[in-house]
Parts: sequence; C-alpha cells; structure tokens
Amino acid sequence: MRFLYVAGTPEVEHEALESIRDRVGATFGVPVRQLALPAIDFAFDAARRQYSSAGVLEMLMRTCPEDALKVLAVTERDLFIPVLTFVYGHAQLNGRVAAISLARLRQEFYGLPANRQVFVERAWKEALHETGHTFGLVHCADRQCAMALATNIGQLDRKRDSFCAACAARLGARLPQSPRSNP
Amino acid sequence: MKTHWQILVVDDEEVMCESLAAWLREDGYHVDTASGGRMALDMARQRDYAIYFIDLKMPGGMDGIETMMQIRRLHPEASIIIITAYATVDTAITAMKEGAQEYIVKPCNPEEISLLVNRIIKVKNLQRENSILRQKLARRYRMHDVITKNPRMQQILALAGEIASLRSTVLILGESGTGKEIVARAIHSSGDRELKPFIAVSCAALAETLLESELFGHEKGAFTGAAQQKRGKFELADGGTLFLDEIGDISPKVQIDLLRVLQERSFYRVGGTEEVRVDVRVIAATHVNLQQAVIDGRFREDLFYRLNVIQIQIPPLRERREDIPLLARHFVERLAHELGKDVADVSENALRVLMDYDWPGNVRELENAVERAMVTCRGRALEASDFDFLSRNGPMKAWSVPAGLSMQEMEKLLITATLQSTEGNIKRAASILDIDRSTLYEKMKRYDIARAKEEKVEEKSEPRP
Repeated sequence: MRFLYVAGTPEVEHEALESIRDRVGATFGVPVRQLALPAIDFAFDAARRQYSSAGVLEMLMRTCPEDALKVLAVTERDLFIPVLTFVYGHAQLNGRVAAISLARLRQEFYGLPANRQVFVERAWKEALHETGHTFGLVHCADRQCAMALATNIGQLDRKRDSFCAACAARLGARLPQSPRSNP
Repeated sequence: MKTHWQILVVDDEEVMCESLAAWLREDGYHVDTASGGRMALDMARQRDYAIYFIDLKMPGGMDGIETMMQIRRLHPEASIIIITAYATVDTAITAMKEGAQEYIVKPCNPEEISLLVNRIIKVKNLQRENSILRQKLARRYRMHDVITKNPRMQQILALAGEIASLRSTVLILGESGTGKEIVARAIHSSGDRELKPFIAVSCAALAETLLESELFGHEKGAFTGAAQQKRGKFELADGGTLFLDEIGDISPKVQIDLLRVLQERSFYRVGGTEEVRVDVRVIAATHVNLQQAVIDGRFREDLFYRLNVIQIQIPPLRERREDIPLLARHFVERLAHELGKDVADVSENALRVLMDYDWPGNVRELENAVERAMVTCRGRALEASDFDFLSRNGPMKAWSVPAGLSMQEMEKLLITATLQSTEGNIKRAASILDIDRSTLYEKMKRYDIARAKEEKVEEKSEPRP
C-alpha cells in the first residue's frame, strides 16, 4: 500500500499539522501518514532572508519514503523561488513532492487580529492546491476551486477548500478512490 | 486555451530557469528552458514560442538584449519579457527600444508576473482569432474556392484574377442568385486592396434620399434627423472596394452623383461644402439589362460607359449544369457541419433531380434547396425524395409546341434555341440536332440565323480622363 505523507518541519505546531493531514486524507481519499522533517536551514538564503522552496523539494525527493505516493511538506518558513518575491507553496507538477508555507497564512502577518479558523482554512486550501499539482492538475479557471491560482491572500480567501467538479473528475482518474468535489 | 501557447525561459542560472518554468507550467502552459542565448536561438528556430522570458545578463558573448534581437528577427510577432536583477533606467529603455514587450525586475511579485502573462496571452488569443477569421474570409472568397468546372465560369475567374489589382470599374451582370457579390468579393480579396474594406450596398433597398446619404454621408443638420455628421459608404470604403448591387435601380439624381464620383474621385457629403477625396474601386452589379435601360432612357448612357469598363457576365446555373453536383456536394459538406447533421453525400437519383431542375433562383436557390432537404433528411445521403418540394414549388416546364407555326418556322426556332444553348458552338449544336455541320450551316443561311456569340466575358477599355 502507498501513502500520502504529510510531513512537518520542527517548528510547525502539532495541531495545525494534524488538521492539514486529516483534511488532505479526507479529500484525496487515500491513506495518510504523518512524518517529521528536519529543520530546513539548509535552504536559507541570507540575502533574501527566506527559504528556497526548490531546495526543500530536492531534500524531499532524496528522503522520500519508499511507500510514499506523495509527500507534502509543511513549514512555518517563508518560501521563495528566485524569480518571485514569495510563494505560498511549491510542487513538482505530476511529481511526488510538494511543500507549503504557513508563514503568510496568518492574519497577524497582515497586521490583523489572529483568527484560527481563517488560518486553518487557508492552510487546507494550500495543501489541497499543491498536492493537486503533484497529481498533474494545473491552475483552474474557476476562481473558487482549490486549484485556482492565488497570488495574494484575498484570492486565496475567495477559494473553497475543495475541488470543482472538473478538477475532482480529473483527479478521480488518477486516484484509488474519487476525491470529494464541491461543485 | 493556455495549452496552445508555448513559453521559452532563457537564463544561465538553472535554478532560476527551472523554478520560473515550473511556476508557469502549473498555470497550464507548455514551457521549455534554455541555458543561454545560442541555445534559445536554436530552440526558437525549431518551435514557435508565444512568449520568451529572457534574462538580461548572460555569459557566453550573447546577453539578453542580443538574444532578444536575434529572436525578434526570427519571430517578429513573439512577445519578449526581459528579466533582470539589476534594474536601471538605461537597461529598461534599451530593452524596450529593441522590442521587449515588458521588463521585470526579479524577484517580482507573483501577482505581477501572472497578470503580465495573462495580458499577453489575451492579446495573443485575440490576434489568433482575428487571423483565423481573416483566413476563413479569404477561403470563402478566394478565386479557386469558387466552385466550378464550367469553362465560362473559369474564364470569368481568370479575368477576375487579372483585373483584381486594377482600379478600373467592373460591371457584373447576371440573374439573381448567380453569385455576383461572391465574384465581387473574390476580385477584392485577390488584389492589393485585400486588407482594406469591402463595403456592399444594395441600391434597390433604399429610397433616393436615403441612398444619397448612405453613399456620400451627410453633415450635421443636413436634413431633419441628421443629428450628427455621418460618413458615407464611399468614405468607409476608402482604399478598398465599394460594391453597388442592383445599380440598375438607382434614381436619375443618384446616377448623376455617382457619375461625378467616378469621374472626379471626390464628392460632397449631403449638406456639406467640403470636398471629400477617396480612393475607392467600384464594382457594380445588376440583374437588369442595362443596355436596354439606356435605350429606354431609364439609365444614363455616360454612367453606363463609366461602369462598363470591365464587364463580367455570370451565366445562370441552368447554363452550367455540370456544376450542380459539385455545388450540391459542397453545400452538403458545409451545411452538415453548420446544421450538425450526419449527412455526407447526395445520391445519384437525387443528383438527377437536381440536374433536371431549371433553378430560376440559381446557386442561391440550390443552396436553399440542399439546406431544406438536409433538415428533413433521415439517412446519411440526400435522396431524390428529399427534393420532392422542388416539383411542388416549380415544376419543370414541359416544352409546349406553339400552334400555328409552319414546319420551317419550327425548324428555325429549334436551331436558334440550340445554338443559343451551345453558345454558338456549331459542332455541339449539330451533334444535338443530329445533323451534319454542313447541313446546319446551310439551314442557318436559309433561315438567316446568326451564330450566337461564344464569349460573353469581355474587357472593354475606355481612355481615362
């Protein structure tokens, strides 16, 4: 049997990681396992004071468990790719590994009072989005679908934490069981 | 559709190149990468990329600007986005001057790059749509798409091709439904006015005053209801072609105005004092006998000669029956797609019905008949029964023998009619009448029958003023 691993770096709070793990498991309908990752200091870029998401993905590919269908890394560190100022997440399209950053998902990051529910929902959406990419899904034109491109927090908040019918159908063909859609 | 568009990312830093490519792939684009200018050029020669992201600073003697310039030589329509980590006003100006569409400083905001690519692709989609529509139009009216194997029609097409780039006025004569406007459009789209407007006006559809304003435009306040200045069809067709259909129906007043435009190449808007100069090729068409209208005093002789510089006479469909199967099958193919019907052919029996029918409404009537048959057709081919309505609409006239004629008068009528149908071809007429050519010549002499003109397509020239 192959598992979808949700892997947290040491600084990620346990409760948030479990919540993401459960949501991913429920949506993709495959057995999910939790994994502990080492700190990602190796990916730190001193000039940008951010962490290279490409470096994190490379590490995941090297350390990926043999029975892993996919591995989704979750970190509190702010991720980037060289051409962009930041990324909420990064995935190998049609690959095995993906990573999401929780750094910009909290209301506090935008100078607003903390809101646990908003934070958790944003994390779910990002987790589904990047994991979706590993199953070959590209950005969806339906702005409410979890696979829609979000380049700012407003766009992320407008999305649902589920796939549109079309994306769910595409996923269904690649999964042992059909994912849950919310048309 | 994003997947149609291909993007090339050019950067000597692999991580930069791959991460941008991966990010764009997640958006659904097909993305390739090149690690330098020379590699990018090789790839651009093999594939037509819609967008190039090119890093400004690259080693190896070919920087981003040089790479961009060489790619633009290969693909002038490609959109190029220069990426740099070192933003200076000078490099930005140089990049834009050399043809970069955009200039971004890395790292840039994800939103910025996403909007940029979406904007470029939106324009590309519109350009592609525009190009497809132009191709469709060109295919529809291109000479060799006029479906015919009739020698007279082929002569017409050859003549139309020869005169396409001239400015001379053309007069197209032919019954309704023979395709006068299609020939006019074919002349327009085969010549050097192809990319300029083709404006068609049906002169019969408008009253005299309306036609005047329609053709020449009017000034604000020229008449009640003229709330603002309006440009006429002559102005709208400037640089292109103005097709005046049913020219035989225009009033004496408009005939004078038209004559003046054709002579002077300029006119005044209704109620205007300013002379408007235009470069318009006029193609006129009519189903009426203009020469007879001139004799009857209904049409100005001087205008007739102005219009009749090049004359094209389109034969009615009953005189080019060999085109009926070709046209019928062409309409089936086109209409099957438009109507969403699984009809692919016309049976031999159905073709026989179509060949026997006289088609007073010509090609337009044939097209309508095929469409009507396809709507009710239940099989994969149109059958004779699908065209039953033709016999109900207009049964073929049986040839009734006029009473009170002598045998000799009858013979004269028969020979005259046969010669008309063969367009003066003695050999074919003799073969139809089943007599020797010498006998036919003898009878023609006896009955004083002139040999009908073989060629109705002729070019007349008139010295320009």
